[in-house]
Amino acid sequence: MATIEVKDFTKEFGSVRAVDSISFTVESGEVFGFLGPNGAGKTTTIRSLLGLLEPTAGTATVLGADVHDEDALIEAKRRIGYLPAHLGFDEEATGAEVLDYHESVKGGSRRDELLEIFTPPVERPIREYSTGNKRMLGIVQAFMHDPDLVIMDEPTSGLDPLKQEEFNEFARNECERGKTLFFSSHVLSEVRRVCDRVGILREGELVGLEDVETLLRQGGKRVRLQTTDDARTDLEAIEGALDVQTFAEGVQFIYTGEYNALLRELATHDVREIEISEPPLEDIFMHYYGATDAVESDREVRTDV
Amino acid sequence: MFETTKYEMGRRIRGTAVLTVGVSAYVAFIVWYFSLLDPSAYAQIAESLPPAMLDAFGMQSIGSIEGWLGGQIYTFLWLLGLGVYFAYASAGVIANDIESDRMDLLLSFPVSRRRLLTEKFASVLLPLVSLNVVVGAVTYGLVVAIGETIDPMHLAAAHLLSIPYLLVCAAIGLVLSVVVDRAAIAERAAIGLVFVLWLVESAVGAAEDFAWIQNLSPTHYYAPTPILVDGSYELIDAAILLAAFLGLLVVSQLLFQRRDI
Repeated sequence: MATIEVKDFTKEFGSVRAVDSISFTVESGEVFGFLGPNGAGKTTTIRSLLGLLEPTAGTATVLGADVHDEDALIEAKRRIGYLPAHLGFDEEATGAEVLDYHESVKGGSRRDELLEIFTPPVERPIREYSTGNKRMLGIVQAFMHDPDLVIMDEPTSGLDPLKQEEFNEFARNECERGKTLFFSSHVLSEVRRVCDRVGILREGELVGLEDVETLLRQGGKRVRLQTTDDARTDLEAIEGALDVQTFAEGVQFIYTGEYNALLRELATHDVREIEISEPPLEDIFMHYYGATDAVESDREVRTDV
Repeated sequence: MFETTKYEMGRRIRGTAVLTVGVSAYVAFIVWYFSLLDPSAYAQIAESLPPAMLDAFGMQSIGSIEGWLGGQIYTFLWLLGLGVYFAYASAGVIANDIESDRMDLLLSFPVSRRRLLTEKFASVLLPLVSLNVVVGAVTYGLVVAIGETIDPMHLAAAHLLSIPYLLVCAAIGLVLSVVVDRAAIAERAAIGLVFVLWLVESAVGAAEDFAWIQNLSPTHYYAPTPILVDGSYELIDAAILLAAFLGLLVVSQLLFQRRDI
């Protein structure tokens, strides 16, 4: 049985449809990334999986428990860790007091081990914590009872780059130990490093469900360079360059072709400055799925993957 | 079991200690003040007041220590002050955690919403019980210290019977805590509502046509002064308060189970 199974899930808040009939499954042992810009419906979906929100239509099961069935979900929660996007801790309590409380309710067999990797100052009251420290405390509580499934909403936001890297490595190791990880992000580079598969959510709709490799291959790189006028015209014509934009001293495009071909082409021009980076998520949507209309018509097929 | 209650009570220890010391100090002041008074003069003033006012402010037998305590402490501080305090304190129980996003973490626990609510609410028993026990004992000690006498059973009954009343006030706050999204609004509404209920009971007492409205107010079912003065009370009143408390608790559980967080 799939670890998470979401079927035709819809959530409306009043007249606003936050999530529109999405379906996907997350298999056991998988790291699944839930990708989308802010406001796409990621948090709504995650909170519904934990029974915080009642679906307007459709169903979802987590570790076999129907989210409509509180008793079944409570049993499943013994094996679930959760790291919300906004961490609300008792500001006056110390980190250790909060962890003691969590341990008394759900167990904490891995607490000490986790506190060696993630190092919030547990003896200090939480009101003195930085965002990163709060996030680390959140990560510790999410994993301390050694759950089978960990659901995380933007797990690395607020962590410094070094800790983000440690977290990514930790997440991969957890996956190798057989855990299922489900997490949302709006940072593609994070998702690509950790996830096996991603679901892409946009404006409440699931617009893609792919292996990370497929996504990245087709997502391409953003190339931005400063060059002479002649070169600009030539580069616009490179095969695999999309969404070409010229500006005062250079050109920018998304390159989805083969890297060697790009480098060979660039070598023949006078390149003064170059930057090759991950394209922003919005650009991936644009180029991977085409224009908005194409997304609409593509959706039916893609979501069945 | 009761991990949440234990944790939440731990967070209430300091507030409870401050409140208990504060109330005890006020009692000490009132008792000391009584020792300076000429009781008969007060009794004369009381006789000149209209009966409705005597009722509203619990001023029967104001010339005796029992009547004095009933009027100065139990009718105001206990009935109104603590009623408002417990409504306020429990109005934050759920609303504060939802507003601060802490509820997300608590509901990821393998615990039902019903139990979480009940356990969190149970933490208000700490101030409730310690105020009654400590202030009751302090009051008795002080009264004896100034050379007066008070029936310890009457005093104990006044405290014991205040518990169902204060539970109802707390449960009113709890319902608001579940229904209202913003903690500040829930807390203010709880304070306002308990105050209005107290006022209603006091104000319509004299108007016969509207006397039935009194029945809606929890203050109608707990009158500390007669308990202190001659130990008279109706157990049915306490039973009504307990039933109302349980009813409100169940309502808040049902509402909490159904709502989106």
